[in-house]
Amino acid sequence: MAIRSRRPGAKAALLPVLLTGALALAACSSGGSSTPASQGGGTAAKTLVIDTSFNLKTADPGRTYEPTGLIVGKAAYDTLLTFDGSDVTKPVPSLAESFELSEDGKTLTLKLRKGPTFADGSPVTADDVVFSLDRVRDMKGTPSFLLDGVKVAKTDDSTITLTSKNANPALPYILPNPALGILNSKVAKEHGATTDSGDKAEQYLNSASAGSGPYTIESVNISSQVVLKANAKYWGPSKPVYDKVVIRNVESATQKLNVSRGDSQVALDLSGDQAAGLPGNLQVKKTPSANVVFLFANRDSSVSKVSSNPKFAEAIRKGVDYTGLLELAGEGSVQAPGVIPSMFLGALPADQAAKRDVEGAKAALKESGVTDPKVKLEYPSELTLNGLSLQTIAERIQANLKEVGITVELTPAPVTTALDNYRNGKEELGLWWWGPDYPDPSDYLVFLPGKTVGLRAGWKAGADKELEAAGDKAAAALGDDARKQAYVDVQTKLNASSPFIPLIQPSQNIVTAASVTGLEFHPVWTVDVADLGAK
Amino acid sequence: MSPTSVPSKDPEAGGNPKAVQDREGTGTASAPKAAGTAPPRAGRTGGRSPLARFLIRRVLTALLLAVGITLVTFVLTNLVPGDPVAANLGQRALGDPTIVAQWKAEHGLDKPLPQQYLLHLQGVLQGDLGTSQQSHRPVRDDLAEAVPATLELAGVAILISLVAGVAFGVIAALRRDRLSDHLLRILSLVGISVPTFWLALTAFYIFFYRLQITPGSGRIDPGMSPPPQVTGLYTIDAALAGQWDVFASAIGHLATPALVLALYTIGLLTRFTRSAVLEVLGQDYVRAARAKGLPGRVILFRYVLRSALVPIITVAGLAFGSLLSGTVLVEAIFAWPGVGQYAFKSATSLDLPAVMGVGLVVGAVYLVINLIVDVLYGVIDPRVRLS
Repeated sequence: MAIRSRRPGAKAALLPVLLTGALALAACSSGGSSTPASQGGGTAAKTLVIDTSFNLKTADPGRTYEPTGLIVGKAAYDTLLTFDGSDVTKPVPSLAESFELSEDGKTLTLKLRKGPTFADGSPVTADDVVFSLDRVRDMKGTPSFLLDGVKVAKTDDSTITLTSKNANPALPYILPNPALGILNSKVAKEHGATTDSGDKAEQYLNSASAGSGPYTIESVNISSQVVLKANAKYWGPSKPVYDKVVIRNVESATQKLNVSRGDSQVALDLSGDQAAGLPGNLQVKKTPSANVVFLFANRDSSVSKVSSNPKFAEAIRKGVDYTGLLELAGEGSVQAPGVIPSMFLGALPADQAAKRDVEGAKAALKESGVTDPKVKLEYPSELTLNGLSLQTIAERIQANLKEVGITVELTPAPVTTALDNYRNGKEELGLWWWGPDYPDPSDYLVFLPGKTVGLRAGWKAGADKELEAAGDKAAAALGDDARKQAYVDVQTKLNASSPFIPLIQPSQNIVTAASVTGLEFHPVWTVDVADLGAK
Repeated sequence: MSPTSVPSKDPEAGGNPKAVQDREGTGTASAPKAAGTAPPRAGRTGGRSPLARFLIRRVLTALLLAVGITLVTFVLTNLVPGDPVAANLGQRALGDPTIVAQWKAEHGLDKPLPQQYLLHLQGVLQGDLGTSQQSHRPVRDDLAEAVPATLELAGVAILISLVAGVAFGVIAALRRDRLSDHLLRILSLVGISVPTFWLALTAFYIFFYRLQITPGSGRIDPGMSPPPQVTGLYTIDAALAGQWDVFASAIGHLATPALVLALYTIGLLTRFTRSAVLEVLGQDYVRAARAKGLPGRVILFRYVLRSALVPIITVAGLAFGSLLSGTVLVEAIFAWPGVGQYAFKSATSLDLPAVMGVGLVVGAVYLVINLIVDVLYGVIDPRVRLS
């Protein structure tokens, strides 16, 4: 019916139709162009916008254990001790003005500072400290283990003692964790806070904060954004610089564009590739993260006859091309010489890191007696660690080991599925990472036989008596030098005979606008918002 | 009875005719043909009025579907290998059996599966969708924030698509085989075939970063506070509160994601409108109208378009559904805090109450859209009202 449709009458009818369409489009495009003006106004009011891909479940410090939650917690709450900038080897005073560990390492005595106040103006008291710490420990939330078996007591109005059953030299390194932020106990109790599992304060603490930190919480939406407001009554020497801080949940590709155009001032999760080729007016900070990516070969012979052979693990250790992995991970990443990250007390020096030795690997494989081995490598597929996808690392390892004569079958799975297998110690080869709970080497004793991560690699208690004895010694060692020596010893033994092969610490790439000053990457809380200044 | 399936005769019709026919399940092939070839059938006689019967059947179907949705989501979520505990607790806490047991008890996961399901159903009946394992908040509260965000985005997108798609389709039909028809065909093919996430990223890159004419991600400027919640739609709430700067910001943030989402449906509607209009143009009554010398405008709007609207509305209803699935990707790229992001996050962390909540909401949206489509049939085509 083409001929009819070309009649003049039909043609005239086109006009209104066309107009409607054009109007609709015009309405949309004019809406878009009207906004840049209002953006300029936003930054002038001293608003700081931080983009990150959220890992956030709560803003209640007693339950917080996710990276984004720790950023929020660090800004809204003060802890007894803290770290200065990114130096995690030495805890420094915060709400406590001094601390002393007894000679047997079991009692930590803290003197509280006089003067700190909560955001509502009331003073921070010893009772608030006892209540807050008891709550974290007994509520049985995710961070409860930090204070497992630690008794908190108030000796007088300005003295707190923390008593552990065994020597606990890690405690001063644990206390700065934002999960141990001090709550205004009066406010918290009014909203249902208790020191047992019946606690009901989470809902309140997700809508407001009850801390003494430089910022207060204005609103929390765990899937989109957290808004912080300056605490006008902040007790500390340096007042918060920004009136308002918005932390937004933004996917990393969008983060890059936002920060490039000035829509945000800080982008936390760019990959190495994304952090390259940014406009010159941005600052890029590449710091090795404290996440140690490692490979393990399961020692449980019921899981695999192949991977449980110690010589087989040795073949893998010598077969992996660490330099190649570093290139893959991008600038700023470092090879992990042991399981303890490079910036912590007790880390192995970089020159003790494993090196590739294909001939040695082939020899070890021959010695193991396993011929033509085929193994499955399991890892979480959709996860990126500091912007680095574990998928690409797994593929590279597969290629490396092929050259040694080991056939690796990749079996990726979504993290919740993969984690289940990993936790139950059922993975033949696994590719995972360990992020620090607190920046102390004792957190890494979990890699020993019979401990959390050791068991996941099928490494049962009693499997390596000498190493376990070295571990006990390290746990009890007191004094920086003795501890350092003990942990170096543990890691040297781990590198010689364990099922674990530490690989790399990927770089944390943080991009900031030229106007933002004072940014330091921190292994526990990523960024202390209070550090950030404006130029 | 509700005529819900529409025979699609033109082989060029863009969408999936099978999907069109499968809609709703009530589809015996009782659709009114665009032309008056098929005589309207008499409705089955019953004691009650047709409207009451229609509504009762609707509500019953809806209830059945809702129960089905909860059952399917419940079974699927539980079949996925993986443990919600692992997704929700830290590595250290997982090693502590008391913490794990307490967590399971808090979320009712220590009970046998059938009991868990029944408890959930019981909650739903009382308007309680459970507590999200992720946000530790009632799922209802989470959805009350996420659903309006998505509705705002999808609503604007469907409006744009209807206006542009129908206009383009009519133009293409009237100017069949001419240059404008070919151009529109290319546009609709691009719209249908380009992956939404790629388009979203590219649009964001070009308009926001390169040309700098659109604002960044999110629903409003980060420096602004959302308007006081009335409807949850930022544009309307801002207008109600008289916060015109927020209103402008909300519109600006809405424009790019809505256009990106709309492109697919524009393509779909253009194809369908074109074929529907072409079919009607060939009918005798159109020829008669022309012979009578009626003005082209009258013929187009009162004779052609009205008749062609029935299949168009069917497709528009379906298109709205596809918009909802498209939002998952678009929301991620534009950091739009809607149902898509919420569903994705809940699914990857095996957050059962949240997944079931989203399932119910999306199911309800489909049911409402279908109802609207059916009612519109009657408005447009009087013959439908007879049955």
